[in-house]
Amino acid sequence: MTSNLHRETVETVAFRAGYLALFALMVVPLLVVIATSFSDGARIAFPPENLSLTWYVEFFDSIRWLEAFTSSIIVGVGTAALATLLGVLGAFGQEFDDSSLGSVVAPLVLIPLLIPPVILGITLLMYFNEGGLRGSYVSIILAHTLWATPLVYFVMRSVFSRFDWQQLDAAHDLGAGPVQSFVHVVLPNVKHGVFVGALLAFIISLQEFVMALFLSTSTTQTIPVLAWTELRQAMDPMVSVVSTFLILISLGALALAVIATNLEWVSKQLS
Amino acid sequence: MTEATSTSASALPNPISAVRSRLATQSGSRRALLLMAPLIAFELLIFVIPFAILLRISFAAPSSDGVYHEGTWSLEAYQQVFASDLIWSVLGYSFFLGVVVTVLSVAIGLFYAYAIWRSSGVVKSLLLFSVVLPLLTTLVIRTYAFDPLLVPAGLVPGTAGVVVAQLYIVLPYAVLAIYSVMATTDWHVVEAARDLGASRPRSVLEVVVPQVMPGIIVAAVVSFAWSVGAYAAPELLSNSITFAIYVEGLMLSDMSYPTAAALSVVMLGLMSGCIAAIFGVLNRFGGDFELA
Repeated sequence: MTSNLHRETVETVAFRAGYLALFALMVVPLLVVIATSFSDGARIAFPPENLSLTWYVEFFDSIRWLEAFTSSIIVGVGTAALATLLGVLGAFGQEFDDSSLGSVVAPLVLIPLLIPPVILGITLLMYFNEGGLRGSYVSIILAHTLWATPLVYFVMRSVFSRFDWQQLDAAHDLGAGPVQSFVHVVLPNVKHGVFVGALLAFIISLQEFVMALFLSTSTTQTIPVLAWTELRQAMDPMVSVVSTFLILISLGALALAVIATNLEWVSKQLS
Repeated sequence: MTEATSTSASALPNPISAVRSRLATQSGSRRALLLMAPLIAFELLIFVIPFAILLRISFAAPSSDGVYHEGTWSLEAYQQVFASDLIWSVLGYSFFLGVVVTVLSVAIGLFYAYAIWRSSGVVKSLLLFSVVLPLLTTLVIRTYAFDPLLVPAGLVPGTAGVVVAQLYIVLPYAVLAIYSVMATTDWHVVEAARDLGASRPRSVLEVVVPQVMPGIIVAAVVSFAWSVGAYAAPELLSNSITFAIYVEGLMLSDMSYPTAAALSVVMLGLMSGCIAAIFGVLNRFGGDFELA
């Protein structure tokens, strides 16, 4: 009995130590990146020798980084808008679908997520070369939408599956047209889901870099692309400064999503 | 007469309601089609057609000026891919990386998801947060966080470093995929197994694992697909060449479109085979997995 108890204590301690170590491994790398952004040296070093905001000042003086920041926002907002439109309409349509169409749409929407971004980048580069879209914001937005749409789509599928469809019938019986009843009856009930879906789409676009690397030019490159090129050349703390901004933006977006719903739900939607 | 009208009146509702319901479903599926049309058109234009073009270019004759001869049919690109020892060693290394990261990611993901499932309150929120935060951070930063310059202990560069960095990239997805299924599992079943004398590790392996198999399958497929195609981690942290790095060079430096296209097609074929195998093997342990 005592040996059994002893074993259980050991198991409990090992279990806790295990997940605490993993917790540290997940969070510490990002904290290290943030810490190095406050150094004043010319090269990245951890721990930073002197704390200063030198590189933050540098960031706001740098036209290249500010341009990349603008590109990221343009592409992110474009992706969020397009993916949300496609995903919400598609998932809504699926609810009325009694043909076999729906069983084709779901895998078709999902498959791009499983294809290595390098292959997607190559494929779309060849395609956009022929269409003359190469290097434009539109080409990057379309590529990112390929990844963002599945997230919006599956978030909305799960939201619509909990919607009370009798409300829509009631609206019809009261004489509301399809558009009217969607705007006044369906949308207010699912707006949190739409909001979270759009945020996820924005974040996906903000952080994607392999497809953007293939499709952008020096005037349309996004923050991760510029960060990547800079990393290959100079290891200065500017990349850490930019990373810190990106982490803060993502945290802000996450906070908004959690306020709209809750953390557990958002986490489940991400998988 | 009255009898006749009454029978026809009582007979009327049936056909009418049948017609009405048929009309309703017709307009239902037409509405469904209308609503799904933009999504389907998008997937066709930006996904299906580009891949058809990729396939077509892979069968075009390579041209001396780099790109390709339009309108020609040739197997030269495939011959180049299959004949090259370098390409096979690059593919071998990519799949090796994919398998190692997938096994680690599923094992650790299962453990971490279980820890989240069993915890509550602030601890649970913190653990979930630790998974979501890296997920929201760009791959470039996640890779660069493992740069030897940032790791005081001096992370071993080379394959070990690449595996750790790639694991950091895919682990959050694995944890969430497994956790989302685990969260719907009934804890009482595990308790029952323990009351019947199963040890704690055994009750997890024999009761929890089979129940969360759909989540494990998703975790394995995602970890594998993304690690096989890894680009950032191997490029930044080692001198090894993976498929992604090699094909990027073919495309952007050598400008040999047909070879890049053929190699991509071969890669997609090999990956589909592996993913089908993952489904096949894991399904036997858990059963009943449906896509989406």
